[in-house]
Amino acid sequence: METAGQIIGGETAAVLIRQKAGEPIELGDLLVAEGEGYTILQVKDLRYSSQIPQGMRELASGFNLEGYGREVELLEPELRNYIIAEARPILHVRDGQPMIPKRLPRFFREVRRIREGDLDFLERPGNPVFLGNVRSGSKVLDTPVYVDAVDAITHHILIPATTGRGKSNLVKVMLWSLAEMDRVGILVLDPHDEYYGRNEAGLGRHPSDNVVYYSPDAPVGGNTLTINLRSLRPEHFEGIIPFTQAQEQAIARYYNEYGDGWILKIVEGEELPGVQPVTLNVLRRIFDVILGVHLDDGKIKSRGGVFRERGGESTIKDIAASLEDGKIVVVDTSRLMGEAELLVGSVISAEIFRRYQQYKATGELRRKPVIGIVIEEAPRVLGKEVIERQGNNIYSTIAREGRKFNIGLIAITQLVSLIPRTVLANMNTKIILGNEMAQERAEIIGSASQDLSADNRTIASLDKGEAIVSSIFTKFAVPVKIPLFEEFIESAGLESEDTDDDMIEFIG
Amino acid sequence: MYRFAHLSDCHLGAQKHPDLRELEFEAFRMALDDALQKDVDFMIIAGDLFHSNIPNMETVKRATLELRRVREAGVPIYVNYGSHDYSPSSTSMIDILESAGVIDKVVRPIPGKKLGLEFTVDEKTGAKITGLSGRSRTLEAEYFMKLDREALEAEDGFRIFLFHSAITQFKPVDLADMESVDLNLFPRGFEYYAGGHVHRKGCYIEEGYGPIVYPGTLFGSYAGDLEENARGETRGYYLVEFTDRAREPEFREIRPAEFEYIECDVTGKNSQDAYHQIGREIAGHDVTGKVVMLKIRGELSSGRTSDIDSASIREKLESMGARVVQINRYGLSTREIQKVRVVESDVPRLERRIFREKLAGLDIRNRRLMEEGDSIAVELLRRLENEKAPGENKSEYEKRIIEDAGDVLGLDLGGDGT
Repeated sequence: METAGQIIGGETAAVLIRQKAGEPIELGDLLVAEGEGYTILQVKDLRYSSQIPQGMRELASGFNLEGYGREVELLEPELRNYIIAEARPILHVRDGQPMIPKRLPRFFREVRRIREGDLDFLERPGNPVFLGNVRSGSKVLDTPVYVDAVDAITHHILIPATTGRGKSNLVKVMLWSLAEMDRVGILVLDPHDEYYGRNEAGLGRHPSDNVVYYSPDAPVGGNTLTINLRSLRPEHFEGIIPFTQAQEQAIARYYNEYGDGWILKIVEGEELPGVQPVTLNVLRRIFDVILGVHLDDGKIKSRGGVFRERGGESTIKDIAASLEDGKIVVVDTSRLMGEAELLVGSVISAEIFRRYQQYKATGELRRKPVIGIVIEEAPRVLGKEVIERQGNNIYSTIAREGRKFNIGLIAITQLVSLIPRTVLANMNTKIILGNEMAQERAEIIGSASQDLSADNRTIASLDKGEAIVSSIFTKFAVPVKIPLFEEFIESAGLESEDTDDDMIEFIG
Repeated sequence: MYRFAHLSDCHLGAQKHPDLRELEFEAFRMALDDALQKDVDFMIIAGDLFHSNIPNMETVKRATLELRRVREAGVPIYVNYGSHDYSPSSTSMIDILESAGVIDKVVRPIPGKKLGLEFTVDEKTGAKITGLSGRSRTLEAEYFMKLDREALEAEDGFRIFLFHSAITQFKPVDLADMESVDLNLFPRGFEYYAGGHVHRKGCYIEEGYGPIVYPGTLFGSYAGDLEENARGETRGYYLVEFTDRAREPEFREIRPAEFEYIECDVTGKNSQDAYHQIGREIAGHDVTGKVVMLKIRGELSSGRTSDIDSASIREKLESMGARVVQINRYGLSTREIQKVRVVESDVPRLERRIFREKLAGLDIRNRRLMEEGDSIAVELLRRLENEKAPGENKSEYEKRIIEDAGDVLGLDLGGDGT
């Protein structure tokens, strides 16, 4: 056994381990103490310790720094000066079965670094979503970490991450796995047009036909995003656009009078008894700004071409059908206003929610794939203030009730603290990336599925691509290293083959 | 200023009822007459001129006479294959008529790594026509994907792109299930896009494209089409005037007969009451000389659906002077016998849904079969419906059917079809 250190004291939450000289222990390292099975400990903190009194150490340093004696050496330095690691027992494994540790490893027990075989209990689930490999400190083990897509998505996934910590990379790696299964359909609202990969590595290179791409300016092979104005109903705007009471009443009147043509009539400026002209004009302006639809020379025109009077009638149904077929639908919303992006997601999500409610009623739900909705900057729709001010929206409804209908959220945010505790508590898998904001870390730790109270510093020190997976479906908060997406698909030889060189056999 | 007529989806030979078959042909004749009277320089038929690739001889004979009449008037007719009259071995009636010089098929590929297309230049007007034929399912999208758009876009002149496909952006909401291709797969900047396949008319203006036009079916091939006729959908073709650009296309309505739509919702009635209700309902309509589309729907509280006697309802309507009576009872069910699980209003959609339901219940590992099985089965069913053509011997007929089936299934069956 290559000893890394020895247990020399401590308590349940913080076992003290003296580091062996020449065997540097890192923050987050996984160590193993054997005995009646073995206990896995995770290093939470590191500090210096010395047998030499403080005054003597300071004097020795003075000699060194001030040039009095370069040759001054401490006797047996590795014996007298050392590092103490504070580690927390996170799991006890006996007969291959992991369990929460109820007692401390034996006093003075030597500890070693974790090996791949120590984690054999981490099984590959039925619907595996690959998240990365187990990480011990900054060392990466050859042990892949998966969560079950069906379980994790229906219980919602939260990805708290600040900018530059590898969030997009993580989502791409996850979606790549998800694209391989037909039991899961994923709607990705992509405000930065970064997931499909028009010009760089992205989901568009997946060898299956399971990735469908919509964009207002779709490349060949993608679908042009067009949504007919008649597809929009007043409830799609609920909790997304902050209408005044007068505006809401006006919308209700137009909808009652004109049915699915209500937006067209408002944009045309058709007056209706009981609706003040000023309210009508404000609504026209709102639709102009958010949807880009306006009246020009008596005709309804669409700026950007997404929301339009003609065409795009079947888009929502097409997308819903693709999701029901277990595909990943990436919707590029980078050219849309923030509200319009949420509205597009709202229309699609509402359609899926309606269908799945119906399937549950008719008993067909179990035959349908689970649906996940990837939403960035989640507080825009799940934030406390937003919900209080604008009421519930389809996303908050899914966060609360989606599980009943096999629909879940994959919510990404920098600001977890803006999301209500009740919603956070429903997000049962959290993939925690580095975060330097103390308040945000406190919220993440407070709502995690495992006790991460000692992981504050670890979370702050997570490097790009490093994460902690805390889930009700994992036995412990698993530290992972997420591979770089480009390297991941290249090393696995997973990209679709380019068949451009094939001659075409044409009939017709 | 030049003119052309844009027709599609004539589906000659689709109707089985003699009167409807007559009307179907009458619509075709009326459209050609109207176009000739409008002094068109050429005509375009964007696929599915015939309902099958080898239609019955009577249909062929009458169609040929009409087409030849147009040709003899100095008006060329440019066509492509539709999804119905397509043949993988170039033995469709379209090919035969082309060989006879009656029509011009304009889909002419240039071999290469990209799919290049030659233009057919109309002698009189200089219009340049090219395009793709209607194919089934993924093959069609594949051709579009491989299309050498740059070369097509570089061509100058008045260009027409002929196609027989639904465009994703323009699919009507109730046809969401229909296979389609995205508009971004089309070459940009053509002066006119002559579409077929979608049976409902539509003219779309998109930035960077000339008018994208579907005339819709000329008469209708399925009961669902005829029901739409009866509910007020107008049928016809587009007349297009052009110089270097197309002017706004004019829709020319063709109405070979009057239709009457009657709908009876019998939900909650027992079969006897329902039958009487239908009787009262039809008595209130003037059906003289009309094609009557009667739709009976709803769930009976008791009794069997077969208790509602279609034959006597038909007799009654005919006695009232109806020219043709079509009864749609696909939406009729009863609480007593829950056999009718699928509610659809037309046969192809009904077939597709049944296949989809059946597929869902099977343990199929083949992903393609799971995803496209319903489309494949419907397409196969349609090809197998093709009858033996007059003059065709049994082995020729078998060979043709096997080739067709192989094409649908994506199988290379070898030269002898084995």
